[in-house]
Amino acid sequence: MKWWKSKIKQKLDFENQKENALKYAEESSNESSNQFTGDYTVDLELVRKEIGHNWDVQFREFQIGNTGVHAVIIFVNGLSDKELINNHIMKSLMLSFSEKSYDDPSFVKGAVSKELIKNQVLSISELTEVYDLKGLVSKVLTGSTALLVDGMSTVLILGTTKGKSRNIEEPVSEALVRGPRVGFTETLSDNTALLRQHGDTRNLSIINFQVGRRTKKELVIVYMQEIADPNLVEEVKKRIKKINIDDVPESGYVEQLIEDNYLSPFTQVQNTERPDRVFGALMEGRVAVLLDGTPFALIVPVTFSMLLQSPEDYYERWLPSSLIRLLRYLAAAISLLGPSLYISFVSFHQGLIPTKLAFSMMGTREGVPFPAIIEALIMEVAIEILREAGLRLPKPIGATMGIVGGLVIGEAAVQAGIVSPIMVIVVALTAISSFAIPQYSAGITLRMLRFGAMFFATMFGLYGVVLFFLFLCSHLVKLKSFGVPYVSPTVPYRASDWKDFMVRMPLMMMKRRPKMLHTKDSIRKD
Amino acid sequence: MKLNYYNIRLLLGLLLFLMILLLTGCWSSKEIEDLGLIVGTALDIENDGGSWEEQDGEYSNRDLITITNQFVTSETIGTGAKEGSTQQKAYKNVSETGDAILPTLRNMILKIDKRAFAEHSKVLVIGEDLASTVNMQQLLDFFLRELEIRPSSTILIAKNRASDTLESKETVEIPAFQLVEIIKGYERTTKILPPMTFAKLDGKLHSGSSFLLQNVVSEKGEVKFAGAAVIEGKTKKLIGVLNNKELEGITWITGKGKGGLVKSLDEETDQPIIYEVLSMKSKIIPHVDGDNISFDVNIESEGRIAEHWVLSEKPFNNEFLKRAEKVSEKEVEQLVKNTLDKIQKEYQVDVSGFGNRLRIEYPKVWKKVKKDWDQTFSEVPIKCKVKLTIKDYGTSGY
Repeated sequence: MKWWKSKIKQKLDFENQKENALKYAEESSNESSNQFTGDYTVDLELVRKEIGHNWDVQFREFQIGNTGVHAVIIFVNGLSDKELINNHIMKSLMLSFSEKSYDDPSFVKGAVSKELIKNQVLSISELTEVYDLKGLVSKVLTGSTALLVDGMSTVLILGTTKGKSRNIEEPVSEALVRGPRVGFTETLSDNTALLRQHGDTRNLSIINFQVGRRTKKELVIVYMQEIADPNLVEEVKKRIKKINIDDVPESGYVEQLIEDNYLSPFTQVQNTERPDRVFGALMEGRVAVLLDGTPFALIVPVTFSMLLQSPEDYYERWLPSSLIRLLRYLAAAISLLGPSLYISFVSFHQGLIPTKLAFSMMGTREGVPFPAIIEALIMEVAIEILREAGLRLPKPIGATMGIVGGLVIGEAAVQAGIVSPIMVIVVALTAISSFAIPQYSAGITLRMLRFGAMFFATMFGLYGVVLFFLFLCSHLVKLKSFGVPYVSPTVPYRASDWKDFMVRMPLMMMKRRPKMLHTKDSIRKD
Repeated sequence: MKLNYYNIRLLLGLLLFLMILLLTGCWSSKEIEDLGLIVGTALDIENDGGSWEEQDGEYSNRDLITITNQFVTSETIGTGAKEGSTQQKAYKNVSETGDAILPTLRNMILKIDKRAFAEHSKVLVIGEDLASTVNMQQLLDFFLRELEIRPSSTILIAKNRASDTLESKETVEIPAFQLVEIIKGYERTTKILPPMTFAKLDGKLHSGSSFLLQNVVSEKGEVKFAGAAVIEGKTKKLIGVLNNKELEGITWITGKGKGGLVKSLDEETDQPIIYEVLSMKSKIIPHVDGDNISFDVNIESEGRIAEHWVLSEKPFNNEFLKRAEKVSEKEVEQLVKNTLDKIQKEYQVDVSGFGNRLRIEYPKVWKKVKKDWDQTFSEVPIKCKVKLTIKDYGTSGY
């Protein structure tokens, strides 16, 4: 019992530390919230002290027109649009100012008012005012330009952000034969724009949050106002607000912090690079989460069947789509149970193999020094290493890897008598099957669980495989993603949702949105 | 689920529980290459009984049985690595003698390095001599009872020594498989019985009715199916053999055949006409009049003229077809009559399902005659009516 108490004490200590850290963070932020005075040199010195040591922060001092008023613009080199600064800020303030100002009755020589600059001089659409250093720093460092004018205690922040972004390209991780050749980029505004331009979308709600205690990254949750279940939206908002971490470099962080059960091997949040997929999910009543700095959007809630679906299922006609879906279920089954079935047949239930096949298995296994499980482990681990190596390598070397790996593992291992040829077939089939699963993370899950199945098969044969499957099922039945059971519509059974499950029924018949999402408006089509 | 200290302990507990599973080891696991697959078994009676074990005095006055198991092991299959050894046989026969089946089989462990595994067993061949001296039900009790032996394996009777049928001149062939493959020919000839599996045999043995088993002859390393062995329901011993012609008659009476030929001679030209059976139907109708029981056998068949040596210049006409039908019908009638003579008069057993029809249609009568049915059957009048229809005559119009 003493051991346990001391553990509790440790835990309390840790909590205290955490609180202290939070307090410290708040205090330090209070310290830096210095109000601007309006005294040019003092204010400029204040800013310089805070961010002036950075190489990329530019201070450009000048005089406004012919008034002799000192001013400085502060921007980050590369983040801000220089052309915009030159043509619409510098030019307006230095060259065009004098001409304009004579027409203005309110103009007083030797002083410049905030209103004048705001209303008449600067031709910049996005303009805000800040009063303290903290606000200025955070804006400048995200690409805006700060205009500090002598005699003004207000700093104008001009929207000149021009982040570095790449062009919109087809996503590499989710290639389709048919479908829009558009993928998200690393820029959040581009991504939301991709969703916005999907038609007249007055329904589309894009709610913004900031995550990351220290980096304050932009994150938006997207949903359809008139479709999505308000409880679901609230739940997502609640979980996003709960994120309390210093930085979120990628949406994978968010995914791991908002999922229901972090001990489960199954992914409970879907990630995608495709705007059409996100939009499809939104129209079903789901909620999407987009983070600045990553092309991967998150979709919640997720069911297991979604991981085996592709947007193409809806673009192609229903018959091929349904067959391909069934094929994917088969692939998932093979990828999960392939080697374990082989092991149980070879070491336990030889009577279940067709006689002729049993002969050839016996012949090929002759001389293999390992029991089936070791044989399978060698091959499975080898192929996982091969896959991992090929993934990280530059493309030209990757191809070589494939050839070398394929030759070594396929041919030499059999020739050397380390594994039997049938094992190679089983492993190859399993590997291919796991790649046939459209969602990469789901493929990994099944690959991982495969080893568990192999272990059970070694212990108890087919009985063990069934046992393992039952364990898995009992876990899946319990699992929920944002309140939606993970294996719905099988459990709980909802007949109407089966129209879009293992097969994709004709669109003519899919008249309702999925019932499991409790949408406000359930009718898709009359 | 939060990782607090209760839950960690719960998980540790679960882990311990999972580790208990490891204690079972690889329960009843046996690698496939360590098995010797039994694909066929032969049972023979041992006349000279020269086994050294006899000195124990265990087997006084009892019939000794020699069991020959045909093994296929990973060595006999021969992987690609051993290409040079073409002389090696694809199978290995191991024999052992004893007075009961299982103890003898267990003695085989002393001889072989592989674990015997009978789930792929396909065929059981019983020597004629053994079948005529030992009660089948006693002999086969182990095979019908054993879990590892599939009810789908087939039973055959060998004319001479059963173990000879499991030998082959060809090194690559597995004789047990050959036997099974030949049985499948029953769909194309009337000279092979439908396979008698353990599952069917169990019923036959317990109902006490007589039945037939396919007979196989081994000559100079070649096996050939020839006729059928008659097993009497009462003694459950082999009492005689039907030859190929008589077996054909049985097939016609039961109507169980799926194909086959009828060769008859044309009355005018004395040339052969061959009728190929496309379908066969037979109906056994029992009649009961007081104590008199009689049967009608109505055989109907459709088929085609597959070959005929009758020279004619005219295209086929109905007259010729009628003639061909007639002679074929006569031929079949002859076959049936011969067979009935044989089983009624000589063997006095009902092996073609007459009793069964009577049981279905006149259950009360059957109850009375059931006990001595084979005796009764030998005196029952049976009328036979054959109707063959020639549907087509192939691609030649002449």
